Amino acid sequence: MSESATTVEAPSGGLPPATDEPGLIRRYGVTLVFLAPTLVLLTVWVVYPTLRTIHRSFYDRSGDDFIGIDNYRTLFTDDALVTAIKNNFLWLLIVPFFVTAIGLVFAVLLERIRFSVAFKVVVFMPMAISLFAAGVIWRLMYEKDPSRGTVNAAVAVVADAVSPSGVLSGARPSTDELEGSPARGIVLQAPLEAGSVARLGLTAIREADVPSGAEQAVVPEALAGGITGVVWRDFKPGGGTPGELEQGELGLPGVTVELRSQGGEPTLETTTEPDGTFVFEEVAAGSYRAAIGPDTFTEPYAGVSWLSARLITPAIMMAYIWVWAGFSMVVIAAGLAAIPRDLLEAARTDGASEWQVFRRVTVPLLAPVLSVVFVTMLIYVLKVFDIVIAIAPGSVEDDANVVALAMWRTSFGGVNDFGLGAAIAVFLFLLVIPILALNIRRFRREL
Amino acid sequence: MSTAAPAIDATVEAPVVIAEPTSAKILRFLGKTPVYLLLAFIGLLWLVPTLGLLLTSLLPPSIIGTAGWWEVLSQPSVATLDNYRAIFDNEAITSAIWTTLWIALGATFLPIFVASLAAYAFAWLEFPGRDWIFLVVVALLVVPIQMALIPIFSLYNTLGLFDTIPGLVLFHTAFGLPFAIFLLRNFFIGIPRDLLEAARIDGASEFRIFFRVIIPLGLPAIASLAIFQFLWVWNDLLVALTFARDTQPITVAIFSQMRQFSGNIELIAPAAFVSLAIPLVVFFAFQRYFVEGLLAGSVK
Amino acid sequence: MRKRWLALASLVGVLAFVAAGCGGDDDGGGGSVEGSEDVTGTISTMGTWAGPEQASFQAVIDGFNELYPNVTVKFTSGGNNLAPLLSTAVQGGNPPDIACIAQPGLIAQFAEQGAIQPIDDLRDAIVDNFGESVADVGAVDGTQYAIMFKGANKSTIWYNVADFEEAGVEPPETWDDLNEVTSTIKAAGITPYSVGVDAGWPISDIFENIYLRTAGADMYDQLANHEIPWTDQSVKDALTLMADVVGDSSNMAGGTDGALETTFDASAAKVFSESPQAAMLILGDFAPGVVKNNPLEPVTGYNVFAFPSIEGSSPAVVGGGDLCANFKTSEAATAFLEYLTTPEAAEIWAERGGFSSPNKNVDPDVYADEITRTTATGLAEAETFRFDMSDLQPSAFGGTPGQGLWKGFTDFVANPDNIDAVTQQMESDAQKAFANS
Repeated sequence: MSESATTVEAPSGGLPPATDEPGLIRRYGVTLVFLAPTLVLLTVWVVYPTLRTIHRSFYDRSGDDFIGIDNYRTLFTDDALVTAIKNNFLWLLIVPFFVTAIGLVFAVLLERIRFSVAFKVVVFMPMAISLFAAGVIWRLMYEKDPSRGTVNAAVAVVADAVSPSGVLSGARPSTDELEGSPARGIVLQAPLEAGSVARLGLTAIREADVPSGAEQAVVPEALAGGITGVVWRDFKPGGGTPGELEQGELGLPGVTVELRSQGGEPTLETTTEPDGTFVFEEVAAGSYRAAIGPDTFTEPYAGVSWLSARLITPAIMMAYIWVWAGFSMVVIAAGLAAIPRDLLEAARTDGASEWQVFRRVTVPLLAPVLSVVFVTMLIYVLKVFDIVIAIAPGSVEDDANVVALAMWRTSFGGVNDFGLGAAIAVFLFLLVIPILALNIRRFRREL
Repeated sequence: MSTAAPAIDATVEAPVVIAEPTSAKILRFLGKTPVYLLLAFIGLLWLVPTLGLLLTSLLPPSIIGTAGWWEVLSQPSVATLDNYRAIFDNEAITSAIWTTLWIALGATFLPIFVASLAAYAFAWLEFPGRDWIFLVVVALLVVPIQMALIPIFSLYNTLGLFDTIPGLVLFHTAFGLPFAIFLLRNFFIGIPRDLLEAARIDGASEFRIFFRVIIPLGLPAIASLAIFQFLWVWNDLLVALTFARDTQPITVAIFSQMRQFSGNIELIAPAAFVSLAIPLVVFFAFQRYFVEGLLAGSVK
Repeated sequence: MRKRWLALASLVGVLAFVAAGCGGDDDGGGGSVEGSEDVTGTISTMGTWAGPEQASFQAVIDGFNELYPNVTVKFTSGGNNLAPLLSTAVQGGNPPDIACIAQPGLIAQFAEQGAIQPIDDLRDAIVDNFGESVADVGAVDGTQYAIMFKGANKSTIWYNVADFEEAGVEPPETWDDLNEVTSTIKAAGITPYSVGVDAGWPISDIFENIYLRTAGADMYDQLANHEIPWTDQSVKDALTLMADVVGDSSNMAGGTDGALETTFDASAAKVFSESPQAAMLILGDFAPGVVKNNPLEPVTGYNVFAFPSIEGSSPAVVGGGDLCANFKTSEAATAFLEYLTTPEAAEIWAERGGFSSPNKNVDPDVYADEITRTTATGLAEAETFRFDMSDLQPSAFGGTPGQGLWKGFTDFVANPDNIDAVTQQMESDAQKAFANS
């Protein structure tokens, strides 16, 4: 068979030059033509700048003063830069693992079914979109407002089902006569007995949010042997007088009012009428308090703030995984397909369970492929830039900072300190080298 | 990539073939239904972000700031192409798209051409130090773009290449070379030696061999590479942010909109979708090459 | 020294600027330019304007092209990043021909570096149109470098009329009244403020308005020149007052998190809407001009009131402006700058709204609506006027996203209790910037 197409070393004895004439130019002139563009491009655009950047990193922002390793010191003391380094390490720890794992799960699931191509295409598609466009997409999806941001809209569906918003979400007491908070329920402080009239005034209710059918609020007559009261929207344009039931202020119908005993136990419940009044017909002797439970005040889901300082890095990671899982899946699926069926069959015939087959046969055989994916992700994650700058709003850029972004911001994004920027670039280079060297060695071994 | 399976002669008897009863087939399918359902669900989930962007771009400007794209699903009549009309009237956006096209095409053809030349030399021409130089070239894969940004920025300003399409093309070309040369050279080596020897004996010059033999035979690898490179350059942001100001590719145009006017979704959404539609089309048209290229050991 | 000079110039300067600017007395001086087909070339221009504002400037360029059909003018928006973009460009040796910069501090820096070219030849045209004092804002050490083409009254608070009616409130005149209005609005179930932190500059505008009223004009100048530190008690007091508005999450649409992720145009759109998410917007007079598809009519749908006085302070205005200067001199560039001195150029934009012109020859009727006329004259009636303080600073401290004052105010909104830490960081950033410049 011909030589393997995959070794790094060229087959010994490449074809000799066309002529045997002496003179280097004559002999290698043609070769030079083939190589010249490459050599020029690489020297000018890659080799020379690398050396220049290393050199530049030892100078200050103006480029005139030699400052030794000061820039590198800044790299490890400046808050924003330290955050960048920390974030990159978080990325390294979390993302390659999840990308590989998810790809593995998908690949394994896909193996069992036909028509897998459709799924593969769908999951792989984000790779074609680019990390920047993906960033734009997810930036829009992470909007806090659940009526605009997709992610929060989905969470809202669940959240609202679990704790549906109350009739009077966001309302609060209009005076100190009522105590408590929307979270715990609002209680009228003054104790009530048979024959008392309770007045519970609430504000921070939008006119449009008053339950339908509401009428002008009225203070009900006292009822012998019972307790009456009114729950009303204690607001009229201009504010009105808090605590006083005035003309123009609406009652709040459909509100559940509890009558609580001295110990705070709810004993009776009733609902308010269109004019806000409520009645507890027969009440045993004793002192009570009127309250409205927290359920009435539950606010509609406000949305998780994905773009806040705390959550921004996990949020960006999620988007990144969405993009790269497809790559991982495709490569691992190919690796899976390459595993000879006979080995698996043999293992099964020997009595191994599916899980054991997976663990003892499949995974070890997959190891090289898994490491390809994992190491590739390590390299890309170190250089991550596009998606971070696309998703993170300016206010949290420092919290989402990564080394590649820090380098750009320092050099061209405002600080304009080329010396420090060069140092960051060199730092990135140093981080990347060991991993890439690993990768190249793997190439030499495997291919 | 497949390793040859060791021949298994252990089984002497022919496997017994029993026709599978239909009931068993149905059972087997049903057993897989959860898997199908799960995958369908995951697939749908994966589509949502991109679909969401498309539908957002179809929302009329009056509600785009207050409603989510699911409005289009509940009230299909609301969808409109107005936003797309607006961006194609918008000179800044249309020129950005053209700019991106020129840069991407230039930065695809040039590196492939240059890399093929070099790959052929490394594969089939003999000269002292060949393997060492090849190693150095491939080793340059290690260098991140960040190492070149500052010096090239100064260089471009001196040479007048700043903010020009050729400037961007050359930068992308240079950084695309190590990977391209690596890939192509490994592919070219697989070309049967006899073919080349025969050509040489026939008196063909190296150039002739290159254009008439190598390139045609190398097309599959070249195609994969071309697609990869095109997508990479089309989607680039970092290089463009550094070296372009007036001659902006679409990524930079969208980026400055987002930073400055996040409320301008009626422009951001359709522009982003158009900018991702083109790579998507390329992807779907050349899917096969894309995946193959990946599997050939992709690291960029 | 240059800074103090600038601050003084701004005080004197702009007091007169709109006093003249909206008096509308057309004394016939400084009229139009002739135009010519002989002037050719391509010039590149840059400014912060994007979106609708960019479209308006493009209209001004089109007006220029009617007079000079053979000159091509390209405009690139730098957005919030204009200052670093220009600094990088100058460092790289490749600036645009003309740039319109909102920061006199940056103009002064460029002048000292020799990056921008003097335009003394245009001084007469500038003085004829804008008056001596306004002309002086664009001058550094006696040499004319820039034209203040666009002005801005930043002591304006916009509100949604329907919301105010629903809550039954009237525009307040004092800070205490404003707080009362705020609580009445909240009692009505309406969110009081729409805040867009953006890169931080909208918050710095609020701070400057408060500081000018609480600390007074003299201390304002001292702080602008860094003669008193940012850790001074007066700064902390102003920040404490500002926390009344931006320090309470329940005051802002979307809460603190929402404010932090909102850009200034999005915050304006929340108020200029038929279903507004908040009642008030503290933003300069350009606010209506940045909302695309504004469904509301002026006066009936949206209106404006002046930034309230605090503890009896006299009417005061913090203002800004865009100064256009040229980095490279050419016939075409000079022609364009000259065009910008004319009332015609200003009127093109004024008609479209969101524009206050310092040009005294501009016909006030040309302003799009009564409100714009009001905000422009508001500048004139101010007993006390100051140029936006952050724009007077070295741009690395006062005008760059992610740094200095802009970052400091962003951090303040995120952590309004942290006044000491925020002011300390501002002070150390200031020291670095002033040492470097």
